[in-house]
Amino acid sequence: MEQLIEQLKNQIIEALNFEDMTPADIDTDAPLFGEGLGLDSIDALELIMLMDREYGIKLADPKIGKTIFRSVRTMAEYIQTNRTK
Amino acid sequence: MLNGQPIAVQETGEKMLVELYRRYAGDYPKFFKMDTLCRLGFVAAELLLKGESVDAVVMANRSASIKNDTDYMATITDGNYYPSPALFVYTLPNIVTGEIAIRHHIQGETSFYILDSYEELEPIVKSQMADCTSPAAILAGWCECNGKNEFYAKLQIIWNN
Amino acid sequence: MVYCLGHSIISPLGEGSQANVEAIRAGRSGLKLHTDRFLDVEPFCASLFDEPQDFVPLCVRSAEMALGQLPAGIGDKKETIFILSTTKGDNLDLLTPANKIARHFGNPNRPIVVSNACTSGVCAQITAKRLLEAGLYNYAVVVGCDIQSRFIVSGFQSFKALSPEPCLPFSPERRGLNLGEAAATIVYSNQPHEGWRLEAGAIHNDANHISAPSRTGEGSFLCLRDVLTGVTPADIDLLGVHGTATLYNDAMETIAIERAGLQRVPISALKPYYGHTMGAAGVVETIIGMLLLNKGTFIKMLSGFGGVNAAIRLKCE
Repeated sequence: MEQLIEQLKNQIIEALNFEDMTPADIDTDAPLFGEGLGLDSIDALELIMLMDREYGIKLADPKIGKTIFRSVRTMAEYIQTNRTK
Repeated sequence: MLNGQPIAVQETGEKMLVELYRRYAGDYPKFFKMDTLCRLGFVAAELLLKGESVDAVVMANRSASIKNDTDYMATITDGNYYPSPALFVYTLPNIVTGEIAIRHHIQGETSFYILDSYEELEPIVKSQMADCTSPAAILAGWCECNGKNEFYAKLQIIWNN
Repeated sequence: MVYCLGHSIISPLGEGSQANVEAIRAGRSGLKLHTDRFLDVEPFCASLFDEPQDFVPLCVRSAEMALGQLPAGIGDKKETIFILSTTKGDNLDLLTPANKIARHFGNPNRPIVVSNACTSGVCAQITAKRLLEAGLYNYAVVVGCDIQSRFIVSGFQSFKALSPEPCLPFSPERRGLNLGEAAATIVYSNQPHEGWRLEAGAIHNDANHISAPSRTGEGSFLCLRDVLTGVTPADIDLLGVHGTATLYNDAMETIAIERAGLQRVPISALKPYYGHTMGAAGVVETIIGMLLLNKGTFIKMLSGFGGVNAAIRLKCE
């Protein structure tokens, strides 16, 4: 799990163009949207694409992303149980 | 070059835009989400609008958003089809005028034209000045990006008399 | 003020403005499900030509049709400017097709391409009005056109913005927008002429977000406020909205319309017939508005990526 969280943080930094940020800068349990990393709707769509590209998870309804993308940990947990690659 | 004076830079290409951003802005993380065309326009506007305000942004180039169009195309290649929404949103040239409007709270006109040369923008801006009811100043100019390290911008503020 | 001398629409609904408005009156829509038009993209509902079209010949055919309505002997080539409204042009190239179209008509002036996202077709008419009023030209041929592609459809699908069925603007059942393709032309002149005239136009930015409409409808409201200068909401007979059938755009327009005091004006939303024809939308929807009204005062508004909004006011007595 810790390995997946680390890998996921790297993928998020890469996909969302967080210049100069390292995995250590992202709090595993902090909210991704709103006051945390301050992501917006396009970032959410980019995360949906990341889930598909890297883990073979297709999220058809952007609304369910809300619960999955609450924090890096909730994302990693969802990936662990639902990944197809 | 700002107001005829050269600006000293260490870097070249896209890294130069980041260098200028860090030196003259530095407080706008959304900069790193922008494509090269927007970074170029953003930095140029940052330099020029220090202490100045405008109420419209009008820009032009020859190649629209071709650099970012090409980047987006790379995400939909055959056999590796994962279209990137973050790249797609920048596949329109007028996004750069929108980014500048957001940064400088400009709620006047933003327009983008595709023209053969810079001179062709002049009659367009002049006729705009004559038409609008209260245009105090327009940020106008050329903003072109053909590749990560291949770009050119020339902006000016045009005051209504 | 500039005067409309001729217009045309070529779309999946028909050839010529008249054929298009008759199709709409008969309740026909160009929207249908496409499952194998482009490689890799998921099935999508759109208004597409049966046969894929080439960009330049389509624009030329539309412009020819509109120019054919001009009285003989007017519209000298030197006095005429071609203005192309498009977002993706001919396979991502915008300037070359504009040059080809102007050259086809033997026009000696460098054409102008307006690329202001979804508002381009209205912005191009505003640019035409300014150049004609400044006396730089006496005639402007405004051509709006976009052709759908794997590029555009994949991008809108990545935004999760496309409805799998015909779109329903302002309906609680809405599921997103549809794309479409069309070419349309309006010829304007600064010489007085009977019929429709373009009286006012405005462009404003929300200065809020590059891809999400303003929650307060700021840019659209400012455009409506500007084009209402000198008239009152009671003078407006029809308001042509953008009506993309995405929740945020519909909500934004509703707020802007109410803020401008236009909530009692009948509105037309044409995306259920054409889909979103992008660079053509502002031209197509202006022409249909004129034909639906026949006489009166019409406002056409649009908004798009980059936070840009535009509106024009037209009148026919």
